[in-house]
Amino acid sequence: MKRGPLAWIGAAGAALMMLPPLRSWLEASMTLHMLVQGPLLVLCGALAAGGLPARTRARLDAWNAYGIAGLFGTALVFALLMIPRMLDLAVADLRIDMIKALAVVGCGIALRLSWRRAGAMVQGFFLGNMLPMTGAVGQMYQDSPLRLCNAYLLGDQVLLGQWLVALAVAAGILWFALLARALVRREDAAGLATRG
Amino acid sequence: MLRTALLCVLLALAGYAGAAWLTHDFQAWTAEGSRRLEVALAPVAAPAVAIDGPGTPAQPLSQLLGDGRAVTVVDFFYTRCQTVCLSLGSSFQQLQAALQAETAPSGVRLLSVSFDPRDTPADLGAYAARLRADPRHWRFVRGADDAQTRALLRAFQVVVVPDGRGDFEHNAALLVVDQRGRLVRVFDIAEQELALNYARHLAGRGAS
Repeated sequence: MKRGPLAWIGAAGAALMMLPPLRSWLEASMTLHMLVQGPLLVLCGALAAGGLPARTRARLDAWNAYGIAGLFGTALVFALLMIPRMLDLAVADLRIDMIKALAVVGCGIALRLSWRRAGAMVQGFFLGNMLPMTGAVGQMYQDSPLRLCNAYLLGDQVLLGQWLVALAVAAGILWFALLARALVRREDAAGLATRG
Repeated sequence: MLRTALLCVLLALAGYAGAAWLTHDFQAWTAEGSRRLEVALAPVAAPAVAIDGPGTPAQPLSQLLGDGRAVTVVDFFYTRCQTVCLSLGSSFQQLQAALQAETAPSGVRLLSVSFDPRDTPADLGAYAARLRADPRHWRFVRGADDAQTRALLRAFQVVVVPDGRGDFEHNAALLVVDQRGRLVRVFDIAEQELALNYARHLAGRGAS
């Protein structure tokens, strides 16, 4: 695989986001922290994964049949990140924030290395666990009369909760639409093949 | 496939260990919950930050709280607060009423600490008068300057978030500090009776 500039952009982007001005801006609100910093770090990881040499990639693949280990690890990290104390610790303690950032970049790498190999069934299992969990956490953030994070405002928590539910629903619909399209196309192709 | 299974088991163990660490063995899911648990397990000595207030000469907080004379129920507030501090204020008014009604002094006192750099001793005095605070039971202080206040907030894990409209949100609670000036328990603001009973119990134990 060619090591393109995108891989370097991914690695540099992740490092840049953890430097003081961007870090404090992205962690100033709960919504930015979880829905902007998080996904951007995942994206950086996914871009950086493109720069892995083919040999390394083959070695990793041997430990990641059908992308199961990668998606499982990603699900675990996401679950840990949804524990409210995690957000407060990340804001208060730079060391913990660094570990969090590395783990999220790792999720981006794992997703890129695993998603295609997983196929519809493993993907469906992964999303079938992740999306309801995200929706439930989002609903909890909206319903809680108390602030779950000491570092963030109550209104911010409600906004994040609404976004989490909306994104979980949208991601489910999008994945299913893509799957349906792929199935229909395959059927069309098979039909053409038998008729031809 | 065997290697994938092995890696998944390792990931599961790491995830479990991470979750157990993060939640104090699945007892606390929020920073506030774990703060209260940590304080109950290991008391936190009041820092020697400089404080002053109406009727209270400038001195280190550790000296005021740790004078060996009484157990102190402490809260953090700011005088311009229109929300949670009002309920804290009424919690403290009820605590004060309970202390005033005591026939024999129980050795419990109240201290409200302002974290707003805008609050002057005069503001605190006016606020105390508004809440009909009885200086025998309930005193008001502030950090001598912003750095002192911030050191105090850090030591007691009080997190103050400006809401952008000149107000603050903060993890309001009732902090029980023993005669030696150690923060020993953090109670919810709705648990004032529990906090008072606990403080009385501590004070009684200290006297005997």
